Amino acid sequence: MGMPSGLFLDGEPWVDWSWVSTHIPTILGYLGQHVEFTAISLAGGIIISVPLGVAAQRRPGLRLPLLGAFGTFYTIPSLAFFALMIPYTGISDLTALIPLTLYNVLILLRNVIVGLDEVPADVLDAADGMGYRPFARLVRIELPLALPAMLAGLRVATVSTIGIITIAAVIALGGLGELIYEGFIESFRTPLVVGMALCVALALVADVSLAGVKRLVVPWARSG
Amino acid sequence: MNRKLGPRWLLAGLAALAIAATACGSTPSTSGSKGNVTVAGFNFAESSIMAELYAQALEHDGYTVTRKLRLGTREVVAPAIKSGQIDLYPGYAATDLEYYNSGAGEASGDVNATVQKLNARLQPLGLEALTPSAAVDQNAFAVTKATAAKYNLTKLSDLAAVGDQLVLGAGPECPKRPFCLPGLQNTYGIHFKDFKALDTDGPATRAAFANGTIQVGLVFSSDSDLNKLGLVVLQDDKHLENADNVVPIIRTKVATDEVKSVLNKISAGLDTKTLVTLNGQVELNHQDPDAVARAFLQQHNFFA
Amino acid sequence: MDFLRGVWLWFADGSHWQGSDGVPTRLGEHVQLSLEAVVIGALIALPIGVTLGHFGRFGNLAISVSNIGRAIPSYGLLVIAFTAFGFGDGPIVLALTALAIPPMVTNSYVALSEVDPDIKDAARGMGYRELAQLLRIELPLAVPLIMAGIRTSAIQVVATATVAALVAGGGLGRYIVDGFAQFDYTKLFAGALLVAALALATELLLSGLQRLLVPRGIRLLTASASRRATAFKTA
Repeated sequence: MGMPSGLFLDGEPWVDWSWVSTHIPTILGYLGQHVEFTAISLAGGIIISVPLGVAAQRRPGLRLPLLGAFGTFYTIPSLAFFALMIPYTGISDLTALIPLTLYNVLILLRNVIVGLDEVPADVLDAADGMGYRPFARLVRIELPLALPAMLAGLRVATVSTIGIITIAAVIALGGLGELIYEGFIESFRTPLVVGMALCVALALVADVSLAGVKRLVVPWARSG
Repeated sequence: MNRKLGPRWLLAGLAALAIAATACGSTPSTSGSKGNVTVAGFNFAESSIMAELYAQALEHDGYTVTRKLRLGTREVVAPAIKSGQIDLYPGYAATDLEYYNSGAGEASGDVNATVQKLNARLQPLGLEALTPSAAVDQNAFAVTKATAAKYNLTKLSDLAAVGDQLVLGAGPECPKRPFCLPGLQNTYGIHFKDFKALDTDGPATRAAFANGTIQVGLVFSSDSDLNKLGLVVLQDDKHLENADNVVPIIRTKVATDEVKSVLNKISAGLDTKTLVTLNGQVELNHQDPDAVARAFLQQHNFFA
Repeated sequence: MDFLRGVWLWFADGSHWQGSDGVPTRLGEHVQLSLEAVVIGALIALPIGVTLGHFGRFGNLAISVSNIGRAIPSYGLLVIAFTAFGFGDGPIVLALTALAIPPMVTNSYVALSEVDPDIKDAARGMGYRELAQLLRIELPLAVPLIMAGIRTSAIQVVATATVAALVAGGGLGRYIVDGFAQFDYTKLFAGALLVAALALATELLLSGLQRLLVPRGIRLLTASASRRATAFKTA
């Protein structure tokens, strides 16, 4: 273990407010990029995971291959995944978005399947008895009942994505990680603290908001 | 049914969010501009400053510039320019030559000869090097003042005798770069006890010096805070490092006469002393590279 | 296909298995960092979670710790540790430990608080005093979920230790970071494979350990609970 070099105790302030006030547009720009990446990769994750999840729930034989495939993507460390995209997508938004979306698919897929599995059989029977055709039953009965599980997955995926995007900055892809990276490279604490604080705040706001959305949309669900 | 905000609203809302997010991330319009140029820099302050100087000069002249600063090491930047993802980066004559010739050992202390050979290597790739600047930033090896005193070190040759007791820290590309580890072995006969892959002249190298993990480190000669950190550069007495003058490397397709003249004007206005001063403003005063570049250009009436 | 063949050759190259940048060294560094973080984290997290869960106190806090912990970006935390304490393993283990604690606190809290109250009543009725009840009745029932928490934490730490290479740390992440800096995609991919393999091995090892430690009866009783372990990706 290395001896601490005493940087913590050297009296340098952790936040230089004058720097903050002169860099608000830059900071907001990075924040905007971060939110953009999060929103797009979550939307992509949902668009892919819901149909696949429905299919896998109907046909259990699909579960292992699908969860296995996306599970494999999930084990690839994000820095490696971003870097491996570069020869194909260059230094562009897609380089970050594709891995982020694939990570989200795994989390959401699992939750879609579990959510649909947990719909009680008698509810399905009753719906069939009432004359619902398969697609209507899916959209109007099953998915709404699976919503608590899906929203729980969305919460986890959101917070996880917000954290991982910070790593994308290391290959100049933007987001709040750029502030963290700048703070590291230039041994300058202020952008580091600002980046961290905004990232944590963003994740907490998203987490609490989604918990709130869940209460609004599915008030009958158990909390948690 | 007691539904307030049903799942359909939720899905619609998310879709709207996604569309809005995509729309917000659109590229700037280029109507009325002379063309697009993408400027990149390595991941250290001086490169960001140089890239900003070139970028702002081009913008002032009417070009639309996209910046990709802190892109990475040359091993990342060079493939990017070869594949056309970026158009321009501020290179260093000798180091770039030895990169593009795969370490053939063609670089020398003669900057014009070096740049000529560099252009010969760049031309088949659709690239070219413009007029080199008088500003030089060479790779240099530094030790702490304490280490220098302990082993009586003033020049790199002095390391040959004690190298096996010392640890070298440099960027991870060092073991493969001719001016770095191989050069130290072949030209100076230095064999280190160990090599630590850190960053060249970055926070990790400085921190590693501070807690004694490394005794010798790779730094940049135009760095402004070496003295403040208690580091002393060892003299390159056998001239391993060569003419590392700043020189813009640009894709020939983008290198119109006008672009070239704008860039060469900037290069001509720089020297090593200026580079150190500008570096100091970023490294010591924590100013932004783009602000530093703008102030410099205004001071010297480039925007007149 | 050429690329994969290149990766195979990378592994087949003997020089990649020796020295300070060899696979055994980097693997050892990675395991050491991860092990230290999980063990120290467990020593802090488990007593807290178990105690809170046993007394049923501060439940919201115990569960919120997990939510707040997840909101902290791992890369940022490692950079802060480096900035505050400098270069070396110590700051890295400190940051990784901080990331390891939340899942273990929450899971052990939930594990203890979900012990069937009837069982606790029966134990009290049989004359068990507080500590004995905790140790001999509640903990064995709670072990599956606690182990699930440790498993989640361990896999998270193994994945996050990769990021240590971004703050000049050692471990398998070095192959990814250096591979990128050197434009050596073979090394980068090899590093990614090694990390994935290590994470998988960690999961298998700890699942196997759980199977050994937990008596069959209890395992059946709490089967659904222990499946609740979901790995949260921080890197």
